[in-house]
Amino acid sequence: MAKERMDFIDKGNKTTLFVSRLVSYIFLIFVTILSLFSFYLLIINSTRSNAQLQAGFEVLPKEHFFDNLVTAWNDTSIFFLPQGMLNSFIVAAATCILTTYFSAMTAYGVCVYDFKGRNFVHKFIILIMMIPTQVGALGFVKLVNELGLANTYWPLIIPAIAAPSTYFYMKQYIDSTLPLEIVEAARVDGSNEFRTYNFICVPILKPALAVQMIFAFVASWNNFFTPALILDKKELYTLPIMLSIVRSRINSQAGDMGEVYMIILLAIIPVVVVYLFLSKFIIGGVTLGSVKG
Amino acid sequence: MNDHNLLEERTMKKRIASALLASAVILSVASCGNNAPAATTTKAAETTTAAPAANNDTQAAPADTTEAAATDAAAPAAADEGDTFNIYAWNEEFKGFFEKYQPGYDAAAQTLNGVKVVWTINPSDNGVYQDKLDAALQANASASSADKVDMFLAEADYILKYTDSDYTMDISQLGLSQVDTEYQYTVSAASDSNGKIKGVSFQCCPSALIYRRSIAKDVLGTDDPDEVQAQLDSWDKFDATAAKAKELGYYMTAAYAETYRVFSNNATTPWVTGGELAIPDAINQWIDQADTYLKNGYTLTSGIWGDEKNAQMFKDGKTMCFFGPAWYFNFCMGNAQDPEKGCSGDWAICKGPQGHFWGGTWILAATGTDNPSLVADVMRAFTENEEVCENLIVNEGQFTNNKKVNEKFANDPSFGSDFLGGQNATAVFCGMTDSIVWANATIYDQLLNEGLQTYILDYYQGTCDKDTALANFYAYVNEKYPAIQTP
Amino acid sequence: MSSTTASVRRKSISYAKWGYLFIAPFFIVYLTCSLIPLLFTFYNAFFENYMDGLKQIGPNFVGFDNFVTLFTPKSSGTIEIFKFAGNTMIMWIMGAIPQIVFALLLAVIFTSERMKIKGQGFFKTVIYMPNLIMASAFSMLFFTLFSNVGPINQIIQAAGGQVFEFFNNVWSARTIIAFINFLMWFGNTTILLMAGIMGIDQSLFEAAAIDGAKSSQVFFKITIPLLMPIIVFVVITALIGGLQMFDVPQIISSGKGTPNNTTKTLVMQLNAYIGTSKNYGMAGAVSIMLFIITGVLSFIVFRFTEPKKEKKGGKK
Repeated sequence: MAKERMDFIDKGNKTTLFVSRLVSYIFLIFVTILSLFSFYLLIINSTRSNAQLQAGFEVLPKEHFFDNLVTAWNDTSIFFLPQGMLNSFIVAAATCILTTYFSAMTAYGVCVYDFKGRNFVHKFIILIMMIPTQVGALGFVKLVNELGLANTYWPLIIPAIAAPSTYFYMKQYIDSTLPLEIVEAARVDGSNEFRTYNFICVPILKPALAVQMIFAFVASWNNFFTPALILDKKELYTLPIMLSIVRSRINSQAGDMGEVYMIILLAIIPVVVVYLFLSKFIIGGVTLGSVKG
Repeated sequence: MNDHNLLEERTMKKRIASALLASAVILSVASCGNNAPAATTTKAAETTTAAPAANNDTQAAPADTTEAAATDAAAPAAADEGDTFNIYAWNEEFKGFFEKYQPGYDAAAQTLNGVKVVWTINPSDNGVYQDKLDAALQANASASSADKVDMFLAEADYILKYTDSDYTMDISQLGLSQVDTEYQYTVSAASDSNGKIKGVSFQCCPSALIYRRSIAKDVLGTDDPDEVQAQLDSWDKFDATAAKAKELGYYMTAAYAETYRVFSNNATTPWVTGGELAIPDAINQWIDQADTYLKNGYTLTSGIWGDEKNAQMFKDGKTMCFFGPAWYFNFCMGNAQDPEKGCSGDWAICKGPQGHFWGGTWILAATGTDNPSLVADVMRAFTENEEVCENLIVNEGQFTNNKKVNEKFANDPSFGSDFLGGQNATAVFCGMTDSIVWANATIYDQLLNEGLQTYILDYYQGTCDKDTALANFYAYVNEKYPAIQTP
Repeated sequence: MSSTTASVRRKSISYAKWGYLFIAPFFIVYLTCSLIPLLFTFYNAFFENYMDGLKQIGPNFVGFDNFVTLFTPKSSGTIEIFKFAGNTMIMWIMGAIPQIVFALLLAVIFTSERMKIKGQGFFKTVIYMPNLIMASAFSMLFFTLFSNVGPINQIIQAAGGQVFEFFNNVWSARTIIAFINFLMWFGNTTILLMAGIMGIDQSLFEAAAIDGAKSSQVFFKITIPLLMPIIVFVVITALIGGLQMFDVPQIISSGKGTPNNTTKTLVMQLNAYIGTSKNYGMAGAVSIMLFIITGVLSFIVFRFTEPKKEKKGGKK
């Protein structure tokens, strides 16, 4: 109904519509080129040998793709590349599940229950959202060492439970999309509060959870700062650490830029897969406030 | 043109030959889990590479083919030693040599005399290697046997930090003493302030002027090392030649800090005295020279390890001079040796304006090691074992820390490098060892050298004035070393 | 936002105590993993505590000495911490403005009922993809792209120009860093803004159209004001990200903030103290400064946007 009315009005200014469409498409194509250019660079570079890379840029791929793959695969200075991919995956998957589940739960708690200090809790979380991670890094390392948790994944995974910005996003989403009537109806049916959350609310929140899962997975997958402080053992290294090791050699005799680009390329593949898997929620569009209107 | 093709063909042949040789050595080492030693011979100098017998029991398996190795009777017993041999290093160079030549090393099992060898390699940029090593050394006393650092490598720029601490062992505790085939400066560098020797170097690193023959012919009218040396034996002559090279469309050097080492090695005062930082005169001289060179276009703004400099090593490069020791042209001039784009054979070396050294890799024993006898084995192998040293020269192009072996090759008229157009690099380096002095080292040198080179560039570029550039450098020093008082 | 209506409805529910259970995991983890380390870091700021080579110096209580050092001008006359804070803000703004402008444009294009853009799925998928590349990898790619022997300079030379040293020039170096940050994050921002726009009541747009409003009027009078809460979220998260700027300038400048310390950020400074010298005292002092700056900036952002937000929320 709404669309019909809009279309009716549009008829009056077809030319403006044509122009704005044209401009929009040009802009979208420009943005697409901008976004994909780095991937193009990466793919081209991963097919070139170290000497070719040093000799300057070329537009078309070369023949060293498999050489680089073999070098990266056999590089023992970073233990074993696939192990790093597995490590990164374990940490990122655990992180993204914990972050979204518990931060959404916190947001749900604040939205649904009128407990004393609710307002304070909300304001407090907003406040701590502002604190950069690095500020507490020093003390965090000390704590981790004191607890004997250095060279384990716990310090990378557990803190994910408290993610203020995920909380903030979920809070807004729940406020605008979750009718409290559903919660009440579930209670009338005798559902336990946690059951209501897990089996009734989480499915409703799925689109927003998916968006936050992508964000959290990517952030963890690409995180160098914290893992570099906690992990010292080769077999535990995550991909960003491995990349930094190989990259740090590029100025010396052992350096191989072809290998570096290959590792970057391999590092992107799993995260692209996860992204494409969850991206239907992004493409479909996550709506804030669509239910309540 | 024909010359080039011939040269390339020869290089190719040489490369294939050495690749085959290398793989033969690796194969033979890998395949001798039983006690049959395999042997390959190199044409160039008729030395024998005996792949050692790798015993699977924990007893030491010395390759006692030389008298030197046999003299040490009092090697500590290996009975109650740890089962992991942890080595810390900042790159793969020594690891490669160790895996090829260390007697008793089993490449397939990655064990030395039955003990598992574990390498921890961290880059030296920004002090990362030192940071990680320091943390490990401090934890060594309480670390488990599997994690204890047993042996680590150190460079000239910071070796003092370790030798002058309790984290390294006196080599006499390992049953070693100074041998007279070692070069004196390598021993001085490994000694603490009380004169106790804490380690050995497996390299001697006199650094030479490496020049492009074809460009030297153009600029100086000759490519003969002696004549080139005569024309470049002082900074005045060097500077004058730089101007001439510029006129002909060449660069004298490819990085503004290319000559830094030459000056800093000849400094007469240390960087830090009594906790106060003062830029040595020699380094001030470099600051002025680099300024002139950049302003006049004699050199480039590339870092000494930068892509831009490395690209100058290709055949179409326009740079006449590089500075570096034996390890440099063998490991850092890959572009020059590239079969397609390189210019192998178009190079030669001479002493240059001032004698100096660059780098060097010292082997140190970490206090608390549970494999002291293995550390001692490695130290001996790479300084006293003539066979290992010969392999380092012939197969790896190294200049070893063994006078006797170096001189043998220096005096061999048939020994020469294809890369250097047949020149005998070992002979040139032998002639340079006397001018190396070890003096005025501090524990801070690496990062001070690195920092100054970076921050002073802003002044050369005109981004800021000299005082600001130096102030930025001092601020960097304060971050890295709060104990140093800066101006 | 709609707290008044919500609480009216919620009064009948007497399950309040459950709220504590739901928020408990978050707070337990936050207190142990973040708050304690944070307080410990701050506590360290009042001690002299570092390594000189292999020798541990301190910890000795020194009061506010570390802050005095932090605010003492260098021999060149600059107070470094201010300079680094300035660098951080400049590079953040240079990246954040195009980031938000692009994201707004894209969000409007994607959600426009009028234009019905074809291939939306493809475009939406693609714009987020740069975020999948690690910041360090991104920095490397751009470093080689703009290096003195890189493709951009090859093109400049082929066109008869001189080599331009992008990383030795203050503004080109900063622009490249800002551009990388923009490129990495505009897709993320677009997703958030799109969600916000789709949440706006369509009848408002229809009413505006009937009243004959131009699309620019609709954008500035309806879209932007109603989008304010989500824009606040976007600006604040971008600001936090901006203040944490580290990987990109660290790699572009090899950790040294070249040229002339103009690309050195606050976190790079923090990292420098944690590095070689393990200077926990100075690192603690920098942390406190970072904390204060973040607090002040966030307060300003909230202050500027809060009243508008309340009004629109009430209407809705």
